[in-house]
Order: sequence, then C-alpha cells, then structure tokens
Amino acid sequence: MDFNQILAAGSPSLLSWGLSSLRAGLEQPHSGAILRAMVILVLGAAGVYLMLPRGPISGRPWPRYLGGALATLALVLLITMPIPAPASVPPLENAGKTMIWPIDDLSKEDQPAVTCYTFHFLAFVSLASAVMMITSRNPVYSALWFAMVLLSNSGLFLLQKAEFLSAATVIVYAGAIVVTFLFVIMLAQPSGAARYDHHSREPLLVSLTGLLLASVLVGTLHYSARFEDRGAGATITRRPTSDLIAQVDKKSGGFQQIGREDSQHVSGLGKTLFVDHVVSVEVIGLLLLAAVVGAVLIAGHKVDGGVIRKT
Amino acid sequence: MSGSEAALNNYLIVGALLFTLGLVGFLARRNLIVMFLCAELMLQGVSLTLVAFSAFHGTWGGQVLAIFSLALAAAEAGIALALFVVLFKRAGSLDVSIWQDLREADQPPIIDDTAGDEEQPEKQWPHLTRSGVLPPQPQPKPGHPHKELPEPVGAAPAQTAGGSDGR
Repeated sequence: MDFNQILAAGSPSLLSWGLSSLRAGLEQPHSGAILRAMVILVLGAAGVYLMLPRGPISGRPWPRYLGGALATLALVLLITMPIPAPASVPPLENAGKTMIWPIDDLSKEDQPAVTCYTFHFLAFVSLASAVMMITSRNPVYSALWFAMVLLSNSGLFLLQKAEFLSAATVIVYAGAIVVTFLFVIMLAQPSGAARYDHHSREPLLVSLTGLLLASVLVGTLHYSARFEDRGAGATITRRPTSDLIAQVDKKSGGFQQIGREDSQHVSGLGKTLFVDHVVSVEVIGLLLLAAVVGAVLIAGHKVDGGVIRKT
Repeated sequence: MSGSEAALNNYLIVGALLFTLGLVGFLARRNLIVMFLCAELMLQGVSLTLVAFSAFHGTWGGQVLAIFSLALAAAEAGIALALFVVLFKRAGSLDVSIWQDLREADQPPIIDDTAGDEEQPEKQWPHLTRSGVLPPQPQPKPGHPHKELPEPVGAAPAQTAGGSDGR
C-alpha cells in the first residue's frame, strides 16, 4: 500500500495499516525475539526518561523512583532471560545454531558457568552504572558512577582475555582520567546546586532518540550476518609485511597467531603493538605530548575580569 | 571457546547499549563536564565492541585499536578539562547554553525555557553544638545576654561587629 494513499485515507486506515503490518511482522520467524527486545528497550527508554533530572529534587521524587524501577526491570529482563530458540527457524539465517535472545545463555556453550554468571553480573553493573551516571544530578556522582562503569568494563575485558587492556583501563581511566575529572569538578563547581544540573534538555526527544538508536543497533546485530564463516576459536594467519616482521616471526616459528590458550599474552600484544603498529604508537605518543603542552598552555592563562591574559 | 558467536553477540549488545546511553546523556545533560563524561562512556562502548571482535577473531587488531582509543581519550580529557577550567573562570558556570554565541551565524539561538522556575535552595546552616568556654565578650548589652548565641551562624559576625561598634 502506498504511503500517500494511507495519509490521504486518514488515521483509521493508518491504524489498520499499522495493525496489519504488525501482524505481518509477528508472523516472521524471529518476531518473538524482536518483540521482547523492543519491550525491553521501550521499558529502558521510559525509565531513563523518568530518571533524567527535571526540576528540583525536592518537588516530586516519585518519577525518579518509578524510572529507576522501570530501568532496573528492563535490565533484569535483558540480562537474566535465557530464551529457547523458536521452533521454526530458517536454516539459512542460523546455520545449525540456536538463536537465543536477548542475552544468550552462555551456559550452553562449552565454557564454565562461572564465566557466564560473571558476564551477566558485570554487564548488569555496567549498564546500571551507566544509567545512574547519565541521570545523576551531581557531577561528582556522575564521575563516580563512571568509575563504576570502568571497573565493570575492565572485568568484561578480562573475561575476553584482554588482560593488558583491563589493567590499562583501571589504571589510566579510573586512576587518572576520572580523578582529573573530580579535580576539575571540585575546581569549577559553582557553590550550591546548579540549575543546569537539575534541568535536562528535552528529555522526551532525547529518550526517543536513544530508543531509536538502540533499536537500530540491536536490530542490526540481530539481522546482520551471523559471522558463520569464522567458527569458534578461529585464528587468522597474518602475512608478514616487512623483513623485520619476518625475522620476528622466524624466531617465534611461523606467523603470529594468538591461540586463546596462549599464555604469553602480553608479550604477543607487545609484539603486535611495537612491530606492526610502531608508527602509530609513535604518533599517539606525540599526540599525548602535544595534548599535555596544549593543556598547560590553555589552563595556564590567567583570567582577569573576563579577559584572558598571558601570565 | 572464546570465539563463540553467542558471546560475541552479548558483548556487542552491551557495547551498543553503553554507546546509546552515552548519546542520551550527551544530548540531555547541560553540564559541560557531564557531557564530556558521556562522550567517554560512548568511547567505552566502542572499546568493548572492539575487544569483543578481537576475542572472536583471535587477532590483536581490536585490542590495539582499543589501546589507541584509550590514549586518545586521555589526551582529549586533558585538553577538554583545561578548556573547561578556562571557560568556568570566564563565565562562572558550566552550562553549555552560555557558549551558544559560538554557533553558526544563521542558527537561531536556543531559548532557555527553564529559566522561569529557578529554584532557591533553602539555606541550611550547620548546627554547631556548644562546647568549651565562651570567649570573654567585650561588653555584653543588657538586651542580649551572652549566654544566648544567635540562631543562624551566618548572622554571628554581624552581631559581634555591631557590638564592637557600640563600644
């Protein structure tokens, strides 16, 4: 049906069109999973909308509590609902694999149950802390919730055998960046509760935007190619691009592959970082130096009566 | 084991939701520092996605990119926080709407519609318990026996100043 005809026919036709398209959508094989995902995302968006600061906190606290309850419900539904695969699954779309939604039941995989439960716990803590971070009225609380997000994310990195990145996240992000944020908040926080912290900008539109983006991302993840050509535990052999790499590879015997059972994790990462990406490492080091010099130059100016002067 | 598809999808979903939450916070909040924190949250979601792909494919590329994004975030935080300090010194506020003069020439200004209900936070003075010995008052007035301390602490210096003026 043409969309212009629908618009010309008016809202009853539009409603029937919507209902018929919804019915047609429900007959798709994965409609149950999509419907569940949409319920979860709508619940989460409503919770975030209610939790965003709107006015003084002494006025009506109940929207915030209700929003917190809705967001928690959405997160619990997202994390803890292992759903068996639907019976009629087209074989093309998932080749011999059960499709489970929204968070797949990892206990069916051949990994210990501790990993599965740890992932669920860490994902819940990460997402809940992110929600609390964007809805806190006090910027200090936002920074602390962000530190919580970082800690749980480093746990997630650790689950994926990215030990160096996990440690670097804790040290660099939570140790340096968040502390710098806290310093700046202490330096630059006006006394008392600032009004702009208590009024968010267009909470409804922003929540709808977030709902749209989350739907598109999750739907894309659901409908995209299922990465079937690279099976479990696949390793990619890389070609040496220069003689230097060839020498390094000769020492280690062949192309570098990370088997996941490789115990020399950090050494392998260091080899990749300082052989393949050595120019990038130098460039990023230069960028950090320039950033430090620039930060000192910017913040070192004395502001006197609204006019920036050089010291 | 580690490269399973279900695990990859889980991490991708968590990364996508972190990115979305960062976007929501960036659009909704008006504090410069909180907006920047939300941008960092989006970077965290992207890092999670990169590491998930790295673990799935069994290569180092995603982790290397995540490490570069970490260094980039550190540089960005340094510059941005220095800018925030300077901006706060100039305007006395961290509201982004103050700096909307920097917009494009043909853009309409954003009218702050929440300016009407500006709240006055009620002042809460700290309750100090009386302890120790009262310092010797110079000249207690007959109307004000010095046992009774004034109720609000903030008014105390004014009264002592008045007492010294009366002497």
